[in-house]
Amino acid sequence: MNMQIKISGHVEIELEGEKLVLLPQRAIYWQERKMLMVADVHLGKAATFRAQNIAIPAGTTEKDLQTLSQLVVQTGAEHLVFLGDLVHNKRGLTDRICSLILAWREHHDRLNIILVRGNHDKKIPAIAELMRMEIVEEPLSMPPFALKHHPDEDTSGYVLCGHTHPAVRLHGAGQKSLRLPCFAFGNRVGILPAFGSFTGCAEIETTEGERIFVLAGDTVVEVH
Amino acid sequence: MSATLGNTEEALQTMCGINSTKARRITSDIDKEMAFVSLLPESVERFPWAGHLGLPMVEQVAATIERAKTSLVFTNTRSQCELWYQGLLSVRPEWAGEMALHHGSLDRDSRKFVEDAVRDRKLKCVVCTASLDLGVDFAPVEQVLQLGSAKGIARLMQRAGRSGHQPGALSTVVCVPTHAFEIVEFAAARKALEQEKIESRIPLPKPLDVLSQHLVTLAVGGGFRREDMLAEIRSAYSYRNLTDLEFDWVLNFVTEGGRALGAYPEYRKVQQYEGHYIVESDSVKQRHRMSIGTITSDDSMHVVFMSGERVGSVEESFIARLRTGDRFVFAGRCLELVRTRDMKAYVRLATSKNGVVPRWMGGRMPLSSELSEAVREELGLASNGIYESEEMRLVEPLLRLQETWSRIPDEKSLLVEHMQSREGYHLFVYPFEGRLVHEGLAALLAYRMSRLLPATFSISINDYGFELVSNINIPVEMLSEHHLFNPENLAKDILRSMNASEMARRRFREIARVAGLVFSGYPGKSKTSRQVQVSSGLLFDVFSEYDPENLLLHQAQREVLEQQLEESRLRNAMKRLSKSNLIAVELQRPSPMAMPLMVESWRGKVSSETIAERVARMQLGLTKKPSKPGKSKSSKVS
Repeated sequence: MNMQIKISGHVEIELEGEKLVLLPQRAIYWQERKMLMVADVHLGKAATFRAQNIAIPAGTTEKDLQTLSQLVVQTGAEHLVFLGDLVHNKRGLTDRICSLILAWREHHDRLNIILVRGNHDKKIPAIAELMRMEIVEEPLSMPPFALKHHPDEDTSGYVLCGHTHPAVRLHGAGQKSLRLPCFAFGNRVGILPAFGSFTGCAEIETTEGERIFVLAGDTVVEVH
Repeated sequence: MSATLGNTEEALQTMCGINSTKARRITSDIDKEMAFVSLLPESVERFPWAGHLGLPMVEQVAATIERAKTSLVFTNTRSQCELWYQGLLSVRPEWAGEMALHHGSLDRDSRKFVEDAVRDRKLKCVVCTASLDLGVDFAPVEQVLQLGSAKGIARLMQRAGRSGHQPGALSTVVCVPTHAFEIVEFAAARKALEQEKIESRIPLPKPLDVLSQHLVTLAVGGGFRREDMLAEIRSAYSYRNLTDLEFDWVLNFVTEGGRALGAYPEYRKVQQYEGHYIVESDSVKQRHRMSIGTITSDDSMHVVFMSGERVGSVEESFIARLRTGDRFVFAGRCLELVRTRDMKAYVRLATSKNGVVPRWMGGRMPLSSELSEAVREELGLASNGIYESEEMRLVEPLLRLQETWSRIPDEKSLLVEHMQSREGYHLFVYPFEGRLVHEGLAALLAYRMSRLLPATFSISINDYGFELVSNINIPVEMLSEHHLFNPENLAKDILRSMNASEMARRRFREIARVAGLVFSGYPGKSKTSRQVQVSSGLLFDVFSEYDPENLLLHQAQREVLEQQLEESRLRNAMKRLSKSNLIAVELQRPSPMAMPLMVESWRGKVSSETIAERVARMQLGLTKKPSKPGKSKSSKVS
């Protein structure tokens, strides 16, 4: 069975004998299991800043939930796994953000959602109820993969994770260069780019044999 | 006030407010005597044509320092300062206890120690940067050496004034060139100095980041009312044209978070009670007090010895490239990186003497408008064969060479050289307007040409001109035929031609800090504020997308145009250039003026050692050719 993905700009790769679709919206879709994976959403991050009296404009959480909706609809996913850091900080779970999350969940009420707990998700049990999801400790075993937040190798399988918000710098002619978020697949660990639109990224050094896919606008491009 | 300011009237208003009737300007009639000497290499032929360190002059500089009891040696960058300190020690190791270095990244205590030691006449010489330009007055300093051009008349006077700092005493500044063309700058600077053509310092026009910080400061300290405050702010020179709209936007920014519609309930910085604006929250007060000030520094890491003794700070990005055990030269010592933790780089003294020297951000100063003009005048004279000063006579052979291979531009003409090489088609343009103007001009020309021809360009710039290298041959006539220097549509074209949004993004960093959008944390507690750590680049992107009308963004864009690209200076330059005669010369080999630009373009591509070698090799090849024309050919025939 070869289902067609309706999202343009994606790339299909084979990893551990499984077909994975890398989506330009910074997500992975695992067709076989109808499972969508995203890492580091950091819901309510801007609100966290405002609660600390730093005037960041609103709109990022709305946008991220919208993108997530589109992904769910367009892939036809039945499962959604957050690879950690779904919520930035409990101060960011303001009334407005909570009602946004509730409304979103209602819209996708048949979706099965799991959060692999990340460092930011500690001390925020309320989110399990809001999202009506299960929170599990890493690793979540999904052979041949081990779904985690932190990028450490795991004996139970090839690790898919987040945490580092990876990006690479591409050098053009002259002294021009461009920093782009990326997927980075190493020998035993594959890291997803951060999903949240109010998240930064950190440049990584590429190693031999590593496959790097950058997010160039609305297209995924393999560069290494 | 100061003798080194071109616009004292404006400065008076800036200091005393625009409504002040009592302000008076007092000028003393004491003429400050200033001796301006150039330390010249023996011959210009063997002196580098490009470069900015000037280390070939180290022996001559050491000999000059020897002659005085106390000297200050000014460098233009912190890296140059470190390198020169090492350089002087290597030729005069016995100075180890009598020489010190001083720059802004060194620990405050060690800077203070050096300053006191100069006052107590314990030091023979201090190698320093602009960190000793102002505020520190040392009676014992006998002479000042300036390594490389000071790039401006006022700065040169300021530095000269560090020596002989008593009424009636003679101030002596010895200028040391780092490359051959700088000698022309020295000659030009001397003349401009005689004619008292001193640069103005223009106050920033209504910076809203500073206003927003100021309003919070006042709200922390007891509060204010809108009407009174607006009147008071407008009495300050920079804000004399502040509109009601702008003021209210800032007021809204500090009270509601800056969005025109709909406040954020979670945001409470400044609160208003019956027209009275105050800050209530203790944590807001405390945090604001920590962030008051407008001097922002790049993300820097403290360098400390294992014992805890502080050495100073370097940029995080520099440390990030080092691995444990790597050595680097800092604060005059060779240090070995032991580990980094909590934004601190722990080091120990290295046994070896060699290490990389950190480079700090902070661009090089452009040649000032006044000095640029003086340089053009000097060259104008040279183009008529007039070499008046000692400096000009020394560079005469170099300029003669320029004349033989190409031309020396006079004040009414614009020289354009072109050449083909393995790298592509080179176009060298020499407006002599300083590097910032050239940066803008080069990008603008490249943009305008690329609309006429399918070409891609790489650009390099210096204070004298710029180079465009393209993949296809660009006919020089295009420059005049298509009026490429026309200042019409300048602002629009320049924004399109340069990565202006990237520049605004970088500019926004400072604005965001001053306006309190970035909180660098409490001292010594780097971890507690993690939840609100964000890069200013990301902030810029989020504001651009979700709050594009934010006036702080507009400020960033305006500052890029006005300060970074010096738009008004660029516009004047273009007016001048569109009226000048265009002289096009096809080069057989890079001319003395073209060489430094070619070096500039290699700098990003190869390691510095190879550049030095490449330069030496090319220069060798260059100097051979004109002196013995045709000789090699005849020897082949025989």
